[in-house]
Amino acid sequence: MKLLKSALICIFFLNSFILFSQEKYTISGIVSEKTSNETLIGVNILFPELNTGTTTNEYGFYSITLPKGTYKIIVSYVGFDNINDTISLTENITKTFSLSETTENLDEVVIKENIEKLNIRKPQMSINVLTSNSIKQIPVVLGEADVIKAITLLPGVTNAGEGSSGFNVRGGSADQNLILLDEATIYNSSHLFGFFSVFNPDAIKDLKLYKGGIPARYGGRVSSVLDIYQKEGNNKTFHANGGVGIVSSRLLIEGPLKKDEGSFLLGGRSSYAHLFLPLFDLDNVAYFYDLNTKFSYKLNKKNNIYLSGYFGRDVFRISDSFENTYGNTLVNFRWNHLFSNKLFSNLSLIYSDYYYGLNLDFVEFEWNSGIQNFNIKYDFKHYISDTFKLQYGLNSIYYKFNPGKIEPSTPTSGINPFKLTDKYAFENAIYIDAEHKISDKLTMSYGFRFSSFLRLGQDELNIYENDQPVIFNEDFQLYQNAKPIDSESFKRSDIIESFSNLEPRVALALQITNESSIKASYNRMSQYLHLLSNTSSPTPLDVWTPSGKYVKPQLLDQYAIGYFKNFNDYSFELESFYKTIKNRIDYIDGADLIANNAIEQVILNGKARAYGFELLLRKNEGRFKGWLAYTLSKSEQQTPGRTPSELGINNGEWYSTAYDKTHDISFTGSYQISKKWKLNTNVLFQTGQPTSYPNSQYVFEGITIPNFGNRNADRLPAYHRLDVSFRYTPKPLKNKGLQSYWVFGVYNLYDRKNAASITFDRNATAGINEATRLAIFGIVPSVSYNFKF
Amino acid sequence: MRKVILISILSFFITSCEDVIDVDVPTASPRLVIDAGLNWFKNTSGNEQVIKLTLSAPYFDTEIPQANGAQVVVTDTKNNSFNFLEQGNSGVYINNNFIPEINGEYSLIVNYQNEVYTATEILKSVSSVDFIEQQNDGGFTGDEIEIKAFYTDPINEENFYFYRFTNTSEPDISLEVYDDEFTDGNQIFAFYTDEDLAQGHELLIRNFGISEQFYEFMFILQQQTGDNSGGPFETQPATLRGNCINQTNPENYPFGYFRVSEADEFIYIVQ
Repeated sequence: MKLLKSALICIFFLNSFILFSQEKYTISGIVSEKTSNETLIGVNILFPELNTGTTTNEYGFYSITLPKGTYKIIVSYVGFDNINDTISLTENITKTFSLSETTENLDEVVIKENIEKLNIRKPQMSINVLTSNSIKQIPVVLGEADVIKAITLLPGVTNAGEGSSGFNVRGGSADQNLILLDEATIYNSSHLFGFFSVFNPDAIKDLKLYKGGIPARYGGRVSSVLDIYQKEGNNKTFHANGGVGIVSSRLLIEGPLKKDEGSFLLGGRSSYAHLFLPLFDLDNVAYFYDLNTKFSYKLNKKNNIYLSGYFGRDVFRISDSFENTYGNTLVNFRWNHLFSNKLFSNLSLIYSDYYYGLNLDFVEFEWNSGIQNFNIKYDFKHYISDTFKLQYGLNSIYYKFNPGKIEPSTPTSGINPFKLTDKYAFENAIYIDAEHKISDKLTMSYGFRFSSFLRLGQDELNIYENDQPVIFNEDFQLYQNAKPIDSESFKRSDIIESFSNLEPRVALALQITNESSIKASYNRMSQYLHLLSNTSSPTPLDVWTPSGKYVKPQLLDQYAIGYFKNFNDYSFELESFYKTIKNRIDYIDGADLIANNAIEQVILNGKARAYGFELLLRKNEGRFKGWLAYTLSKSEQQTPGRTPSELGINNGEWYSTAYDKTHDISFTGSYQISKKWKLNTNVLFQTGQPTSYPNSQYVFEGITIPNFGNRNADRLPAYHRLDVSFRYTPKPLKNKGLQSYWVFGVYNLYDRKNAASITFDRNATAGINEATRLAIFGIVPSVSYNFKF
Repeated sequence: MRKVILISILSFFITSCEDVIDVDVPTASPRLVIDAGLNWFKNTSGNEQVIKLTLSAPYFDTEIPQANGAQVVVTDTKNNSFNFLEQGNSGVYINNNFIPEINGEYSLIVNYQNEVYTATEILKSVSSVDFIEQQNDGGFTGDEIEIKAFYTDPINEENFYFYRFTNTSEPDISLEVYDDEFTDGNQIFAFYTDEDLAQGHELLIRNFGISEQFYEFMFILQQQTGDNSGGPFETQPATLRGNCINQTNPENYPFGYFRVSEADEFIYIVQ
């Protein structure tokens, strides 16, 4: 409370300070795309004479306060034609800009004057921005444009191999990414165990990935923020676009609810059944679908409302014995309100859930688990002057966790019904963040987030001797479950455990020349939820668990420094980072996480660290576009013994995480060959991912057992591949009516058998031990047809 | 249960390409392996018992060396001491006057190359197999034979089961462990399926009563062998530690386990 008070006082003084310095006026408004009125995020609004400017926010709004005068104004956005104008600022004005997409002219090379200096000056570093268009250019397996596959081509982003879910940022685990779709949290980003992501590329406007220097308005995850905004829908005319591929089809329709005021967007996507199943005559099913909806309405100049929703499910069925359904649901209502031309606000009311259901018919039981939450966010952006901008707000989330419920599915089932104890929690945060241009060369952002986490009352909380749910058996040198000595039940309104953390965030940018700068940042973040997963990559049936009496919140400290340069159509970024995470949970050997009602008995608190260099050379404009990324990094974790007599996990030594890749090189590029043809390509090389090879074998109970030494001490062979795709647009000049293009692609062109895993097993027939390589994708051709009208 | 779920998920990857490759693996120095399962089959005296001692070997070696010349003794709490004598130079140690007792506590002492290894375990009782159910439309392809061996779990007590399915017509052994957390007091089944299982095959089903510690031991062992290892859903492999301790040099710990069980046997001819 004290903090909130001082924050408010601080804001008050800043406001009054501004009141004294009159002679300044504010220009504010919205920037949108000309034909659809779709607002644009991150557009530069520049005043070259004053050497200053601003950018549009997530809702296309900008505001800047300048001394009275007449100025040239340039509105500039990658892929769009600039607007050059002159404004006379003698009073506060509202000005709306509409930008048109650049039509690429292949006959001449146009060198545009580079005026995109704002990214050089802004203290925000470690951020990558991708638009829907650039995601769709990247060749992908089976021809399905994919958000997560696209971001793993960026520096500092990897995953635990083909066919693994989620993604890993700067050596962090997949559950440490805050994934936001229209401000709502997504708990599982994958369809079909990671072959596809849950985001429909047609419905997406733009995404930002924050890898470091994360602003104070984000919290709750320690590794990264993937902030995705869906399109609002065209509020001028009705349009549809879609695609037909070999794996899935999609259709998106959008149009005005009321011309220039309201719009709707409805998108659907579904894969075909029997996807990976060669045995078509059998009753096996594997498919996914998702639906995106959004309604936007401009109530008046100061108020906009949005209602958006997402619903996605994966369904698997193997004959009659196994059926599995899981997915995310979210509903989000937002209200944008302009308190003044300097104070923008957004209120979000969000419901989201993740459901996992399983019916194992041959064992005759049903299982379901999930997480539900209600989230309220109130965010303010306060454009106080051209040198000072504040963002502040608050956020409260109420969680209900269902760790699992087992029910017999037949009257004759041998399974007793069982309900794992539900858990409840309440997470709150307030934040304030200033962006302050201290001098012409130096801009800083500084602020903090104060977060608290209340674990609310539940039934049957176990109590252990000495509060130790895990005991170390010194005789056998292994960790074992402790037996609870008692259990306690609470009222829902009780607070069992509470945590609070002050998370400072600081970043600065020092401009060296007009086109280059050095940036540095520090951020502390806390994470109160943990995904229980002791496999190399998360599985859909992993459950989330809140911090509490036995599980502490994860705390991150990250330092990053970088050099940034723009030249011609290129941008160059070199960054180095170092981060440490406290209270990273680790699991005792043999931990069984499924349907475990006493998860604290298999968890120890460890730590993690990661460090590395990242290099990104990117070309954003012209006939050739693309980027080259290189990452050199290390990602490790350690769980030492709690006392000197304990062994710790992996003998207490540091070990590589499953997604640690020393070298990671990715190139992705597109080249406009002619008006009709465009070539896209990816080249990847990565150090093989860590794994454990057996160091000996022995025979026990008649079978051969491989013995493994330390965790992840070995590596799979290096991973590399080349993908190529051609985009053919039959009528490139047509911009009305039906427009279409074909994509012909080949994934893994030279058919490299990249090992997803190597399994050590005994060939019983031959009586010898064998190492078996599993390669998920060899060469995969694909074709898709895409249209809009 | 976890295993059942993960296998089901893993089967989606079956269509991908698998091939056998050469891999350079690290080599650790050999350790003693104690394969000591004392089984008291129902309706027998349980006097005759076997303990096998071997050594661990480099992973791709085809020979497993025996551990010869050890002194092997099992004692109970009634001052009985049972000597296990090696049969020639086989690494197989035999005793003919063992006295089994349900819930009796037994200790193992092995002296091998001047190092003393010890372990203690309790003889656990087991429920017999009630009947077998066979289905011919199981598995991922829908035409595999599935065998369910039903047994009745005693109510209101914690029980752990060790099942060993041996297809005597094919070189296939499958080891399974079960607890009764969600099945207490019910008639439930042990499950076996193998793509090579065919009509006329003889299936030898043996089940053993085991301790929680052996259950945990086998749980890790199962994760690290066969279909469960490797892939994005693998759990981190770990060195498997049993209940045998090297008293002379704890660092040179042995592999294996000293288990004492009541046991039952059921022979089933696949229909």
